[in-house]
Amino acid sequence: MIGFVLFSLKRAWQGFWRNALMSLAATATMVLMLILLAGFWIIQTGLLSALDFTESKVEVQANINLEATPNTITALGERIQAMPEVTTVTFISREAALARFQQSMKNQGREDLSRFLDTNPFPASYEIKLKDPSYAATVADALRQDPAIRNVLDTKETAQNVKTVTDIMRTAGTVILLVIGVIVLFIIVNTIRLAVVARSEEIEIMRLVGASDAFIRWPFVFEGAMVGLFGAAITLILLYVLSDPIGGFMIGFFRVLPLNFGSLTRDLVVLVGTAGLGLGVLGAWVSVRTYLIR
Amino acid sequence: MAPSPLVTTATTQAAATRSLRERLLRRGRDEVESDRAVLVLHDVTKTYPNGKTALRDVDLVIPEGDFVFLVGPSGAGKSTLIKLLIRDEVASNGSVVLDGQDLARLQRRAVPKVRRKIGIVFQDFKLLPTKSVWENVAFALEVTGTPRRRIRPAVDRVLALVGLTAQRNQTPNQLSGGEQQRTAIARALVHDPRLIIADEPTGNLDPLISWEIIQLLLRINELGVTVLMATHNAEVVTALRKRVVALEEGRIIRDEVGGSYHRID
Repeated sequence: MIGFVLFSLKRAWQGFWRNALMSLAATATMVLMLILLAGFWIIQTGLLSALDFTESKVEVQANINLEATPNTITALGERIQAMPEVTTVTFISREAALARFQQSMKNQGREDLSRFLDTNPFPASYEIKLKDPSYAATVADALRQDPAIRNVLDTKETAQNVKTVTDIMRTAGTVILLVIGVIVLFIIVNTIRLAVVARSEEIEIMRLVGASDAFIRWPFVFEGAMVGLFGAAITLILLYVLSDPIGGFMIGFFRVLPLNFGSLTRDLVVLVGTAGLGLGVLGAWVSVRTYLIR
Repeated sequence: MAPSPLVTTATTQAAATRSLRERLLRRGRDEVESDRAVLVLHDVTKTYPNGKTALRDVDLVIPEGDFVFLVGPSGAGKSTLIKLLIRDEVASNGSVVLDGQDLARLQRRAVPKVRRKIGIVFQDFKLLPTKSVWENVAFALEVTGTPRRRIRPAVDRVLALVGLTAQRNQTPNQLSGGEQQRTAIARALVHDPRLIIADEPTGNLDPLISWEIIQLLLRINELGVTVLMATHNAEVVTALRKRVVALEEGRIIRDEVGGSYHRID
């Protein structure tokens, strides 16, 4: 068994270099296709986090009656938190609301007129983050019934629009990624097939001298795996070199996104490595099958 | 013309007979079959999917140690017959029994093992251009999972037998046509096969070299290996007076021992 694996590995290595031109062409195709795949993966990831970010901006703000007692306010907070549609509830006191207004005026470089006010006109409020923007209407309607609530800021339509757009973009992104994946699969399988066809005479001799299917197949499968791994390694090196421009592009294109580059890198390594290895092996397996004993 | 192969045959006849007898006795102990035929074709018909019938009702028995010429015009069915023997094709009807095994009933997994009982030699040699003579012969053993320690002595032995020890490190393009064919014969022999099938082995060679190859095949036959040789070389067939099986339009029209290429009326 070990002898067989060593034999197959040795033959794969020899096969790769004896047909160097073919092997390098296959590897180059693999690199281009993996870059294409990785590129679309990066764009898709950026798009998804942009969509998440947009959706997280949809929230319900419930302003509380000025007369409400602290007990009522606490009870209300607990009730909102208990709603199944809600992820987090943040209490904004009247003072905090005022301070926030003053800060935003200052940030915009406008004169702060609130110092002329006798009393703080801002109500206390609950800012409610939702599990999904489509829950906005449900939560808002439920809260309007509550006597402690003065009014609920109506974001129903915004929420609906955001939801529609993000859903379309998510679906489109996934479909495009899948289509690219299938195209990449066909191109790579065909390239490896060419490399195998170039050695059809060798396979014929192997069959005639009585080599079993395994002895014919595995050297080619290992060779396909080599093409895949070389391709993946070269792709990852290229992506690493290009990572700064890519990061710049992501931030420039998708605008200040809380993108986790650490996990993106890890996902990319896994994606490119698995795709390269899997496509190489699959391509070789399918190509050599034609030549096995009928 | 080279020295008559008949003389060579005669001088080694005694040794060959002894070798053959020993071999038959040794194999007889292992096998139960009474006739010890290497190959038995019974009522074989082959029709291709396109409707063309290449062989019709072929009956052929080749006993151990025989030397058989397979002759006939192009398209007579010689190639199809050889494909059936190496189980590249399966008979539409009838049975092909090689060394006691019915090839039609063979499981797919068992095919490689049966092929190792056959050594096949082609007109176009089918050598790997990037490998040396030694590597080309060793290749046949490597790809069938033979342990390394048994490969070296086996390859050295057959290269000595075909007289290519000195050329062992050369690649096929450094060899003459005859040497290339001897390499192919060495590769066919290295598995110690029961049957050597030579498909037009002299088709690409000039007459002198052709005789050299024929003599090599005769010597191998004297060592006890059965040889089936498809050929158009009338001169060789007629001169050697071996068994001749003639195919025409898919039928065996003649099967005679000591026959010539053309029918003698």
